[in-house]
Amino acid sequence: MPDPIAMSGIVPPVAATPAAQAAPAAAPAAGKSFQSVLLESLDEVNRLQAEADEGVQRLMTGQTDNVAEVLAAVNKAGIAFDLLMEIRNKLVESYKEIEQMQV
Amino acid sequence: MFTTLDISTSGLIAQRTNLDTIAGNIAMQDVTRDENGNPNPYRRRVALFAPGDPSRGQNAPGVHVAKVVEDSTPFGLRWEPGHVDAIKDGKEKGYVRVSNVDVHTEMVNAMVAARAYEANVTVAEMAKKMAATTISLLI
Repeated sequence: MPDPIAMSGIVPPVAATPAAQAAPAAAPAAGKSFQSVLLESLDEVNRLQAEADEGVQRLMTGQTDNVAEVLAAVNKAGIAFDLLMEIRNKLVESYKEIEQMQV
Repeated sequence: MFTTLDISTSGLIAQRTNLDTIAGNIAMQDVTRDENGNPNPYRRRVALFAPGDPSRGQNAPGVHVAKVVEDSTPFGLRWEPGHVDAIKDGKEKGYVRVSNVDVHTEMVNAMVAARAYEANVTVAEMAKKMAATTISLLI
């Protein structure tokens, strides 16, 4: 079974139209795959969450009184998670769209 | 992505150090002797701000308190011959050397520091809102 995240693997490449051939489209092989980008950002979000958790714990246990730094960490984790959530929603949405496609 | 948040955080930390310094000045305004008990009043301290945020890396943007320096303004004299730390002889006999802290100045400085802290919080809030607006483009 193919990895569900690796969409580019399942979807066969669309035959290039003359217009698309004229414009030098970015070669997919040159950059990182969407899967690796997604997994990397997942790790990053996880790291930020862990950092925020650790900060809150240190604040609660009195090991630090640096409220500003902990607040920033929590905010960062929140923003990163929101972005990840939206990307996930978009991904599911596009998957459903493909699912409903009439063949 | 989080540069604005980092810069604002450095501002928050620096302003808090600044307020700590001011709090120390106000708390110690009546100190007339040093920790060894010699008549040597408290000298007002000032937080010196400098660009850059060394806690986050060498060339990280932001602000930090480079050091806390002592104010060289001369000490004041108060007529109080019965005081333990009063000057015993010379032409200033009977006077007590008092700290060079001016509580009014410190109070205003404290307000300025609190306002600056608020300004940094507002900028952080704005950065958060900007990120949220960008994310909302995906919906």
